[in-house]
Amino acid sequence: MTDLGTMCRVCGACDSSTMIEIEGLAKSYRHVAAVDGLTFTVPDGKVTAFLGPNGAGKSTTMKMILGLVRPDRGRATLGGLPYRELDEPLRRVGASLEAAVPHRGRSAYHHLLWLAQSNRIGRHRVHEVLEMVDLTGAAGRRAGGFSLGMSRRLGLAAALLGDPPVLVLDEPANGLDPEGIRRLRDLLRRLAAEGRTVFVSSHLMAEMAQTAEHLIVIGRGRLLADMSTADFVARNARSYVRIRARDPERLHRELISAGISATGRDDGSIAVEGASAAEVSELALARGLPLDELSTQTASLEDAFLRLTGGSR
Amino acid sequence: MTTALLRAELTKLRTVRGPMVALGLVLAVGAGIGALDGLSARGAIESHNPMLRPDFTAEQAGLVGIQYALLPMIVFGVLLVTGEYGSGMIGVSLLAVPRRGRFYAAKLTVGALAAVAVTVPATVASVTVTQLALGPYGTSPLAPGVPAAMAGAVVYLTLMCLLTAGVTVMARNALVPLAVLLPLVMAGSQILSVIDATSELSRFLPDRAGAQLTLVEPGAGDMGPAAGLAVLLAWTVAALAGGHLALRRRDV
Repeated sequence: MTDLGTMCRVCGACDSSTMIEIEGLAKSYRHVAAVDGLTFTVPDGKVTAFLGPNGAGKSTTMKMILGLVRPDRGRATLGGLPYRELDEPLRRVGASLEAAVPHRGRSAYHHLLWLAQSNRIGRHRVHEVLEMVDLTGAAGRRAGGFSLGMSRRLGLAAALLGDPPVLVLDEPANGLDPEGIRRLRDLLRRLAAEGRTVFVSSHLMAEMAQTAEHLIVIGRGRLLADMSTADFVARNARSYVRIRARDPERLHRELISAGISATGRDDGSIAVEGASAAEVSELALARGLPLDELSTQTASLEDAFLRLTGGSR
Repeated sequence: MTTALLRAELTKLRTVRGPMVALGLVLAVGAGIGALDGLSARGAIESHNPMLRPDFTAEQAGLVGIQYALLPMIVFGVLLVTGEYGSGMIGVSLLAVPRRGRFYAAKLTVGALAAVAVTVPATVASVTVTQLALGPYGTSPLAPGVPAAMAGAVVYLTLMCLLTAGVTVMARNALVPLAVLLPLVMAGSQILSVIDATSELSRFLPDRAGAQLTLVEPGAGDMGPAAGLAVLLAWTVAALAGGHLALRRRDV
């Protein structure tokens, strides 16, 4: 779409490529820490998923990035500037948050129109974004009467209004049906392919991780992981061998005594880690123990996330 | 504050129903009460009804309607702000205009301009209609003192609108400002003014003080338009400063 080169699109002048930088960010509500010393950088031109269970502090962090909430400590900057110091911010950062919704009584068109006027964005762009999110036909209807999906699309239209190089989206997948989620994923990838930085939060961790190139995982307001999705998968998606035997107790004992880590499961199966299916099969044959099932399982990303965030809400 | 922000705030104002209805009511109530007041006064004069207030003057009668137009004007001041806080719009507004002082200034400027734009015709209509209804007992809207009182009425209602808006920003909902300001204006300050202990103080309430601006000829016990304006201004500035402080400090 636009040739970015090494130039940052936020200010167009500096050659710093870093868009969103967060440093020692902290915020407490009534002495309960919502965000507790977060430091990370959102890489340029990719989809970065901001993951964590509900209540991990994702929304609060995003609100601090966007100047809606004042941090107790630390700072969040966009191309070096706090959001509150940006002029015509919609041309630089597009955002959709659950804490920011249109007036129920105003039409979608008028909602986008005042937004455009406030940031000196041409009226033609309002029609463009309405078309983009497939709301042209509903433009004259009041936003309060919109379905959840339509409201989401209107929020997205508002975020895209200023054709911003950076998008900050809080839980855009919430409440979407599988088809909606698929379309959202396509859109996020397309936006990144256009050279935009997309920072998207979700508590559906595995769901969103598939779309993202980079992951930032938090729990209880603290950073748990900040790495590429590929690294995360390599490190966390371990495989194991699942066995069902006629005599599971005896096989379990034999595996342990052979020095193989095996865990009995509630469903009567045995999970083996650190040994291949072939090794397990050999051992069972040598001991004369018949097997009903022998398969290699890959632990899901969801499991990996649950393990990672398990101790934190 | 820039013209872009003013345009955006104007679009916000004219594209929801509530505030526009309130503005329409300012006009309708001003003219409507003016007509009723003129007719009833004329009837009282013609029938030599002793209920006609002893200090009745045709000049002052025209401004009665404006006292009542104050009610929809207060509602307008509330709706101007609750359009932001009612649903979470404030979040969108501050994403678009993160410099909160600018946002606040633009919102108040557009609110004040709208208040003036509707109070001017409301006042002219109220005075004119009252004089027409009074018929032979009426006077000219240009009689000495009347134009000044009409201008005073515009200032009065506009400042009350701003005061309300400031209070509503502090409260973040319609309930508190409506529950405090409407009863105060409708009955409270009248009641307080007839109780000996509070009558002296009640003169310094914003609506009583502001009403001084609409007097064609202040009586002996009145503080007069200049003092009334000073008191109302003090209230308004305090409310606006409070709203500003709250908006600047608050998290969304």
